[in-house]
Amino acid sequence: MPAPLLLIILLAFGALPAAGAAATSPPQPAAERQVLIGVLSHRGDARTRRAWQPTADYLTAQIPGYRFDVAPLDFAAVEPAVAAGSVDFVLVNPAIYVMLEVQRGVSRIATLRNGTNGSASNLFGGVIFTRADRDDIDRIEDLAGKRFMAVDPTSLGGFDMANAVLRQHGVNPAEDLGQLVFGGIHDAVVLAVRDGQVDAGTVRTDVLEHMAAAGSIDLADFKVLGALETPGFTALHSTPLYPEWPFSKLPDTPTDLAQAVAVALLQMPPDSAAARAGDYSGWTVPLDYQPVHHLLQVLARPPYDDAEPFTLKDALTKYWLAVLIGTLALLTMALLTSRVLQLNQRLSRANTRLERRHQLILDSVAEGIYGVDLKGCATFVNKAMERMTGWRAEELIGNETHEIMHHTRMDGEPHPREDCPVYTTFRDERSRFVDEDVFWRRNGTSFPVEYSATPIRDEQGQTIGTVVVFRDITERREAAERIRRREAEQIHFTRLSTLGEMASGIAHELNQPLTAITTNARACVRMIDAGRADTGTCCEVMTKIAEQAERAGEVIRHIRRFVRKEEPEMAPVAVADMFETVLVLMREDARRAGVVLHRQIGFGADYVMAQRTQIEQVLLNLVRNAVEAMLDQPRERRVLLLARRNGNMVEIRVVDTGPGLGKGSPEHLFEPFVTTKPQGLGVGLSISHGIVEAHGGRLRVDSTPGIGATFFFSLPYVDKRPGMTEDAAPLQSSDNENQHAGEHA
Amino acid sequence: MSKDPTVFIVDDDDEVREAIALLMDSVGLAAETFDSAWAFLNCFDPERPGCLVLDVRMRHMSGLELQERLSEEPLHPPIIIITGHGDVPMAVRAVKNGAVDFIEKPFNDQALLDAVHRALDVDAEQRGHALEVAQIQDRVERLTKREREVLDQILAGKRNKVIAADLGISQSTVEAHRAKVMEKLEARSLSELMRMMLMLYPDRAKSAQEG
Repeated sequence: MPAPLLLIILLAFGALPAAGAAATSPPQPAAERQVLIGVLSHRGDARTRRAWQPTADYLTAQIPGYRFDVAPLDFAAVEPAVAAGSVDFVLVNPAIYVMLEVQRGVSRIATLRNGTNGSASNLFGGVIFTRADRDDIDRIEDLAGKRFMAVDPTSLGGFDMANAVLRQHGVNPAEDLGQLVFGGIHDAVVLAVRDGQVDAGTVRTDVLEHMAAAGSIDLADFKVLGALETPGFTALHSTPLYPEWPFSKLPDTPTDLAQAVAVALLQMPPDSAAARAGDYSGWTVPLDYQPVHHLLQVLARPPYDDAEPFTLKDALTKYWLAVLIGTLALLTMALLTSRVLQLNQRLSRANTRLERRHQLILDSVAEGIYGVDLKGCATFVNKAMERMTGWRAEELIGNETHEIMHHTRMDGEPHPREDCPVYTTFRDERSRFVDEDVFWRRNGTSFPVEYSATPIRDEQGQTIGTVVVFRDITERREAAERIRRREAEQIHFTRLSTLGEMASGIAHELNQPLTAITTNARACVRMIDAGRADTGTCCEVMTKIAEQAERAGEVIRHIRRFVRKEEPEMAPVAVADMFETVLVLMREDARRAGVVLHRQIGFGADYVMAQRTQIEQVLLNLVRNAVEAMLDQPRERRVLLLARRNGNMVEIRVVDTGPGLGKGSPEHLFEPFVTTKPQGLGVGLSISHGIVEAHGGRLRVDSTPGIGATFFFSLPYVDKRPGMTEDAAPLQSSDNENQHAGEHA
Repeated sequence: MSKDPTVFIVDDDDEVREAIALLMDSVGLAAETFDSAWAFLNCFDPERPGCLVLDVRMRHMSGLELQERLSEEPLHPPIIIITGHGDVPMAVRAVKNGAVDFIEKPFNDQALLDAVHRALDVDAEQRGHALEVAQIQDRVERLTKREREVLDQILAGKRNKVIAADLGISQSTVEAHRAKVMEKLEARSLSELMRMMLMLYPDRAKSAQEG
């Protein structure tokens, strides 16, 4: 605890007795002004009142209009009482007076003439003595290493004066004595020396003579060390003499009152009742207190106590309560401090534990997790990230993660940091999820990831970076690829089974040209045999045969391509080619069902980006459904395949004039195994839906009961015409012929 | 009756239709082609002899439907059904309904020609029979009411005495009517009369014979 605080506490507690003294003063008559005389109460308050109230009463009697009272003050209470101005006069020992004079500006108006009869004097000193039979102690210097007793550490005549003399003789009482003890009262010191409890001692002048006169000791038993001779002063003494207690006024005490008091004191007869009660012989003009100043300077006592206002022991003795409370307060504070420190330590341990736990949690997560600050440098990374990337935490932390593991895109193009979603997240302060990206490992390979990037905010809500949680999606991708392959196989299988269901119609589609061919050929042979054949007829027939063979070949080509396993990649496809395949494969079934198939391709809707066979499969499914839906209806039966441009897309529609969809069907229409047909498996529409979705579109339906249904979806338009493929080439020429495919059959 | 028979070809596939016509032409048979059942029905003339080559699967009206319509006519050309792949059950149905033959596409030219010739024979026979029945019918219509009654009694297998008792006339009167019936129907014997009546009323004649 800092010294000023201690001082404040001590002063605060010290002020209490003074206030108490003021409060306990007897009430004064209204006509008189009360004047308080603060008297150093070094022998107890009651005794002080008994000794000095008569002097106060004497002044009351001498000075009209004032009533004088004694306020006993102990050592600690004097200075605060003076500082507070709660007394008008003080009567204290010379040491205290000197201090008050320096610090509080009090001034002496009279000096006490102490003692009675022949020994009365306004001077006093100290006497240093030992037993008369101590041959080993003759001089003051002999006291080194001896047991020495004084009255009290604060006693002027009982210690301080001797103290100064001892020091002059090279014996510092604090260091050089064998033992320094205090007897508390003068008589005790004298008796302790006589009885050999100590080797020597000191008391104020007159004590030995008083005790001898009272018969309690025999002066012959003692010898005085360093005895001095002073003219006009009869008592034994070893120290210079100093003026007795001064009666002094406070700076604010009115001067006329002070003068009146001084006059009254100086006029007091030596044998007055007041003097007798105080065991003194009246007052003299104030003496010079310079020797006291000097003495205090030598002893470094207040007000010359630069370094130490009190010794610890002084403080303990005088201010034990304050010290006790202060100590308690200190102890409490120390306890509190240590408690706080302990808590702090526990908190910091908890904090460490928490941080370790955080790290443990981070490390036990399968996802890679890292954080970056606003500069894009990693602030933390977890174990999973180290494992997945091959980079060690210390290689990442403090460095730009983008440059280390995010520098190149999936397609091999450089990935500029301005585009980095992780960095964008702390700039726009928005969370984002990226479902496809790549991170680069330490060994230069990359792996596909999906990740979420979330801004990190501090307690004030200020964004301080981004936290990224990512997952290696290699396996998921492979699984997706497996599923895609399986789906493709299922689509293929469905296509085969569709074709199987259509086998009779398709066989018919082949039978027709084959029948025409054989019949024509045979007829021709017969005509030649019969000699009825002319070249013109034969040529005509042969041409027909060739045409029919081509027609059969075309059907076979469509079938072959349709049952072929995927060409998996998307490519530009002529819409007309796809419509052609569907019309060829459906022609016979439509014919049997009495359905007319039309097609119409709008301007600028000629090419789309698609997996050809899959879209053909969708169209075939839709046309078959339409044809079957119209089987039992008496109205006209038509199916229109329609393509028209719509922005960047080509919308493909399959329109029928059937009964429309039943209620409740549409939302479930595209689910597997939902069918409105008695014999249907119900996978057709579901697969079609899946195919269209894989093309990024949606298979939708419009239906008006009694008018018809339209299934439609969109495919991306593609501008560039594909190169002539083996399939596309012959179909180019047959576009016009098949404009109304169903009708010509 | 003196007209040459014609092969009527009904098929909605142009190429197949024309090829069949050419085949018929190559063996000297007259052929007429129709691209739908309706087209044929519109031109149908029961008097014209010939046969019908009919594709079983056609838009609007199938071969079976056409066959059904024709069966309502008293006289129509025999039908040859041409079927595609998988249409055999339909062809069988057609035969049960009276078609003379069915041929599966793609067919052997000789098989089709054989079938056509068979059908034309059937048609000729059919047409001869029909003529005789018509003559008999004409003769029957020349009988008086009483002569019809006597004819019915004869067909029922009754003797003259019984017929006279039933009709309440004399036995000699019955004999006179009987001679008139034989004369008018141009029947030289009872058995010939019975044969004629069998052609005209197959059911009644049968029961008479059994009786």
